Amino acid sequence: MIGIVSYLVFFLTMGFVLSIAVLGLNLQWGYTGLFNGGVAAFFGAGAYGVILFGGSNKAGQLIGFGLPYPFAVAGAVLLAGLLAWIVGLITTHLRHDYLAIATFGVAIAVENFARNAEPITGGAKGLRGFERPFETVINDPFWFNLAYLIFVFVVLIIVYNILENIGQSPFGRLLRAIREDEVAAQSLGKSPARVRLQAFIFGSMIMGLSGALYATFYAFISPQDIVPILTFQIWSMLIVGGSGNNKGAVFGTLIVWAGWVGSGWVLTQFAPVEMQLYIGTIQFIMIGLIIVLTLLIRPKGLLPEKLIISRSVARVKPE
Amino acid sequence: MKALIFGLTAISLVALAPGLSYSADCTTKVGAVLPTSVDWGRPIAATARMAVDLYNKAGGVKGCKVELILRDTQVDPKVGVDAAKALVDLDKVPVLIGAVSSGVSMPILTSVSVPSNVMQISCCSSSTVFTGLAKDGKTKGLWFRTFTTSRNHAAVAAKIIKAKGYNNLVIFYKNDDWGQDIGKLVKADLEALGVTVKASIAINDGQPSYRAEVVEALKSNPEAAYVALYPKEGIATMREWISLGGTQNLVVANSLRSEEFRDSVGIKYLGKMVGHDSAAPRTASAASFTALYKEAFKKEPSGPGLPNIFDAVMIALLAMEVSPTLSGDVIARSVSKVTDPNGTPIFPDEAGIKQASALLAQGKTIRYQGGTGAVTFDQYGDVSAPGLSWNFSEKGIVELDYITSEDINEFINSLKK
Repeated sequence: MIGIVSYLVFFLTMGFVLSIAVLGLNLQWGYTGLFNGGVAAFFGAGAYGVILFGGSNKAGQLIGFGLPYPFAVAGAVLLAGLLAWIVGLITTHLRHDYLAIATFGVAIAVENFARNAEPITGGAKGLRGFERPFETVINDPFWFNLAYLIFVFVVLIIVYNILENIGQSPFGRLLRAIREDEVAAQSLGKSPARVRLQAFIFGSMIMGLSGALYATFYAFISPQDIVPILTFQIWSMLIVGGSGNNKGAVFGTLIVWAGWVGSGWVLTQFAPVEMQLYIGTIQFIMIGLIIVLTLLIRPKGLLPEKLIISRSVARVKPE
Repeated sequence: MKALIFGLTAISLVALAPGLSYSADCTTKVGAVLPTSVDWGRPIAATARMAVDLYNKAGGVKGCKVELILRDTQVDPKVGVDAAKALVDLDKVPVLIGAVSSGVSMPILTSVSVPSNVMQISCCSSSTVFTGLAKDGKTKGLWFRTFTTSRNHAAVAAKIIKAKGYNNLVIFYKNDDWGQDIGKLVKADLEALGVTVKASIAINDGQPSYRAEVVEALKSNPEAAYVALYPKEGIATMREWISLGGTQNLVVANSLRSEEFRDSVGIKYLGKMVGHDSAAPRTASAASFTALYKEAFKKEPSGPGLPNIFDAVMIALLAMEVSPTLSGDVIARSVSKVTDPNGTPIFPDEAGIKQASALLAQGKTIRYQGGTGAVTFDQYGDVSAPGLSWNFSEKGIVELDYITSEDINEFINSLKK
């Protein structure tokens, strides 16, 4: 029994960490219509950032500031924001698939930087993290994991509430206005370019926060953690959950992550021994099936966006 | 949609129902996290299974059938870690075999194996970060790998290059953790020996052409080249290298010890080539891993990591056999009884395993000799092994010189001065 609880705690921790990144993408794509194809880059900036700012200076390593944990996380988030600012300035005039291609390129560049800039990032062999905060105080793996789950959950709730408030604020309506019709928004005296940049940076900082929590949990980061499949995973979680809906983003993350890893577990329990070598491949087929089926049955995701035209008018059902 | 949610819930409920999956037979579970969905990963997993089958044929661990539970890592750290956690928490395995990539093995070690007191043994993770972690006492002695460290390999390479009398060369290395490590170590060793490294060229996976890299290397007009690549990039790079007039004075890493490389580049260009590797055991009693592999799969064991995973699984199972209890730390401490340099030499074919069980039951120690040679772990879980040099012939691979562990260690120490 304790084993199941222990596993679920672990599963939910990773689920919530990924949820935060999905929420960041929801701000960019769901609210603003920005096609960020480089989620892994901003996630990676946060993940490497927290270890570089929080870790100590090891042999052969140029950077390692040994900052206290909250400052390390703040630094990681700012690093992701800085990267997003630079990328955003360059790509701000790009739309849709062009933005996707440009950001995808950025993600590849970041991954390659991590793989090669050995004095800073440790290169392909990766970078060891610092002592996880409170681990020595709690000193029991199960209770530590539980404490970390609660911590991640609290962060998730905070991020969720901020995004919900943004969504209902005039700024949130502005984001959606730009998503739906940029020219119309511009004709009302708004500056789409600036607002898009703001949404891009803020969403990327949330992804950076997610990366920081991820690297803290594993106490290790390597280029393997920020390969393009990560961007695909985050995207599929948002699309399955329902873009434009924060609840959907979190729900979709948990469903897709459960399908992603759970399919492997179910298969090993029930597949005959001779089949075991092929389980990994079948698992990939199942993951694809889950995503495709959800999209066929619920094209707008499990929890679609709720369009509110005005609070004083009844809710409009999406067409 | 309701049906889908219901379906998913039903699947997960069935899946989580305890006691449903196994009968009450006497079985001992061992977990493996390997990239089974990747082309080069599946033979590694198949070899792990072959080792377990062989062990079961010889009677199993403490008379119990070994059940290898194999999970795919997808070479994705978070997927691998989750799989490892599920194996430890839900299947209660005391030993994890894997993973292959250091980037996957490492988070498994830090966030699953060490906190949960599970022994972890990898076939192929080569990163030097593991040694650092072990030196800081953070692995709690639970970590082992049967992959001879890059330190050891690099020393053999440098020794061979020096013996060849080359004064300068270029290095081609695979741009991953293994390649970067070995490229850097060989360079440092050669410079300590007074050999000039004119250029170190990183080769990325999957490029259609390596002309730019090859041209870059040719500019320095080197006397020789050291090549630490996998067959695929190795073939592409060496074809361009030779066709553009690069030297045929080649020294290559063990990763290119494949007939595919010989045939695709062409043996007439590889006459002056020499490779390095860790040596296979040289005892008369040792039937070879290759024979066992051929019997099981009807083909040569070619591809990285196959003897290593065989040894990893066998050592883990033998350690479980001799371990008084099946808890990770106790099993990990028992490994030394299986790899004792003063023990009885054992090669783990069916008879060998039976003999090993009998000796271990009498309280005696054994000296495991498997696919990668006589394996001995140092206190950090790293293996040090004798080395050898080899080259290709029309028929196969010819071993040239044998370099003992003592020679290698002496050589490494002499470089430090």
